[in-house]
Amino acid sequence: MGGSSADSAPPIGRVQMGEGGCFLEIAGVEASPAPQAGRASEAGRMNVGVAHSEVNPNTRVMNSRGIWLAYIILVGLLHVVLLSIPFFSIPVVWTLTNVIHNLAMYIFLHTVKGTPFETPDQGKARLLTYWEQMDYGLQFTSSRKFLSISPIVLYLLASFYTTHDAVHFLINTASLLSVLLPKLPQFHGVRLFGINKY
Amino acid sequence: VHLDLEDRLAKFMKTEEAIIYSYGFATIASAIPAYSKRGDIVFVDRAACFAIQKGLQASRSDIKLFNHNDMADLERLLKEQEIEDQKNPRKARVTRRFIVVEGLYMNTGTICPLPELVKLKYKYKARIFLEESLSFGVLGEHGRGVTEHFGINIDDIDLISANMENSLASIGGFCCGRSFVIDHQRLSGQGYCFSASLPPLLAAAAIEALNIMEENPGIFAVLKEKCKRIHKVLQGISGLKVVGESLSPAFHLQLEESTGSREKDVKLLQEIVNQCMDRGIALTQARYLEKEEKCLPPPSIRVVVTVEQTEEELERAASTIKEVAQAVLL
Repeated sequence: MGGSSADSAPPIGRVQMGEGGCFLEIAGVEASPAPQAGRASEAGRMNVGVAHSEVNPNTRVMNSRGIWLAYIILVGLLHVVLLSIPFFSIPVVWTLTNVIHNLAMYIFLHTVKGTPFETPDQGKARLLTYWEQMDYGLQFTSSRKFLSISPIVLYLLASFYTTHDAVHFLINTASLLSVLLPKLPQFHGVRLFGINKY
Repeated sequence: VHLDLEDRLAKFMKTEEAIIYSYGFATIASAIPAYSKRGDIVFVDRAACFAIQKGLQASRSDIKLFNHNDMADLERLLKEQEIEDQKNPRKARVTRRFIVVEGLYMNTGTICPLPELVKLKYKYKARIFLEESLSFGVLGEHGRGVTEHFGINIDDIDLISANMENSLASIGGFCCGRSFVIDHQRLSGQGYCFSASLPPLLAAAAIEALNIMEENPGIFAVLKEKCKRIHKVLQGISGLKVVGESLSPAFHLQLEESTGSREKDVKLLQEIVNQCMDRGIALTQARYLEKEEKCLPPPSIRVVVTVEQTEEELERAASTIKEVAQAVLL
């Protein structure tokens, strides 16, 4: 099940396109905007600043238009900032990028719970972390795959650039495990030792 | 004119802010879910009206019912909750506790014991939501409701919600309280955001009713006298008992001994109502959605007294009811 099939907008977009096609003979002018509107609504679902019927907008942020690119650019920016500090060597910079990225990911995706805004669902997501809220708990959607693969890619790059040094290897592996384990579907809603439960 | 009405209501009730709803039922049914969510605990009276029940159902919180006006039962429930809280303090820190009561109960005509409730509120750290549909414009020296009646500081009550459909003779409802509390409802009160506002004529009518209430504060004493009088007069009917306090303008006449089945009771009472109607007195039975109510009250005739009725009319009504009841029930 891909991420796009989890969204409700594509069927609506397709209906609009179907109607545009049916009335092609009758209203030739209206037909052309309708298919374009359908295609546009399939892209970024995050309708910022408009009225939408999404109960919990948190679930759709990572499917928005351009957010994956923004994420990659942000990690790149972090790396460049670390590179510009003169007394860090290349292996240290890569390890630091990896560790800081994984730490930030752990805090924002697996520690912070609930929503920063009022939702109309009477607090269903109040005790859920952001990762558990993504796509309303549907597993293996494309954004989830993207966010699982990005620490792995960083890990591979870091282990290459640190020339597989033992200390760096240990730090990087521990950091990677700490951020990959909570993403497993078996850990959905699991709170070890009651930490972060309420 | 709606903003004017909100201002006037806030000034009248001596609170910081008020918010107007366009439908009286939706007032309390949207106010409760705006504050109480999943995982919160609400202690509510068994005789709460249907609007409160629907609000609680929409809020998805844990509901704990206590016996009608029984403060000992409420204290028992609060103590049990306190024990649970001590077992799990981290969960207790995130759960909110509310007590929802009515000032003058629609289903039984009794007044809630507000001083004890405020004491319990401060002892067990719960928030009080007071529903004053019947007591607004009835109780208290100036008609400010049950808080004035008992002389309690209005800041002790977290939210007062009332229907404008009873004493203000308009439609809609309002909530009043501190700005901090009421402002939240402007965005998360579903009945406020997702519906149109009150017709301006009715808002102006409510303002006029407030004017009348402010200009003649003597009418509340008159109303009290009339309620007491009619209460006394209707006491002597054999077969019907009067349920409600003597200063409540809305009280119930229930059958002293039920015939065993609810339909027969309802039919008997309907017979009384029809005969009274034939003689020119309009009464009505208290209607309930029988399958939907949590604690269904026994069938009864609800009698409502207003301040405009003269003494002769009240006497005539009381004697008619007596005759009809004696004819039907014997």
